[in-house]
Amino acid sequence: MKLTPSFNRSLWAFHFNSGSCNGCEIEIVAAITPRYDPERFGLKLVGSPRHADVLVVTGPVVRKMKDRLLRVYEQMPDPKVVMNVGTCGISGGVYYDSYNLEGPVDEVVPVDIYIPGCPPRPEAIIHGVVKALEKLERIEGGGA
Amino acid sequence: MGLLSSLSTGTGYWNPLAWVLATAVAMIVVYLIWRRGEASYKKGTAQTTPFISGNPEPEKGMVHVRASNLYWGYLDALKGYYELIVPVHSGFLNDYVLWYLGITALIMVAVVVFA
Repeated sequence: MKLTPSFNRSLWAFHFNSGSCNGCEIEIVAAITPRYDPERFGLKLVGSPRHADVLVVTGPVVRKMKDRLLRVYEQMPDPKVVMNVGTCGISGGVYYDSYNLEGPVDEVVPVDIYIPGCPPRPEAIIHGVVKALEKLERIEGGGA
Repeated sequence: MGLLSSLSTGTGYWNPLAWVLATAVAMIVVYLIWRRGEASYKKGTAQTTPFISGNPEPEKGMVHVRASNLYWGYLDALKGYYELIVPVHSGFLNDYVLWYLGITALIMVAVVVFA
């Protein structure tokens, strides 16, 4: 099975803040600035998960955001890839022992790509997106 | 043949064939745009529900403005009138006939007294 024509042209990402301190958001915005200009490859942030191929999750998933994260994940069309940006989503980060935590992210939704850092650099985020594209190609190709 | 001929009005013209052609072209354009859409959404799952910032979809009655809301000010200003008149409309024909007879009798009395 080959990639659909829309995948061949572009990779659209939906950003979900599950309780981040906004450090990762600043770096995600930095990654889409003209300095890196990923949109020339068709990569861009979209406003609805129903249009997205990649779910970019930041934050450690606080209690109020768990249901929202699950709902957003379920609203994405298949095939989909989840990208976790930042240390908080991997381990809880500085909030690891908070009373208000439902995360980390992979305890709520299946995560395909982990990007560590507090916050990660834009280059790391773009590298993660490339990994996400490779993963999607494997899914579409029927491979592992 | 007269139906298919052009009608000149002085400011423009009307031709049914031109309208049919324009409609056909529009339908083709619509179909081409529709065909480019995402076809892999699984029906009956959350993939086809509206995205409301991750929040659950409320009942339609909670998000749609009902037509009666448009008349809220009108109904509120005439509240005293409606509180009297609405219960009278019971839906029973007998009641309406009684009202008709009663009002007619009152008018007849008034006509006799003041004539």
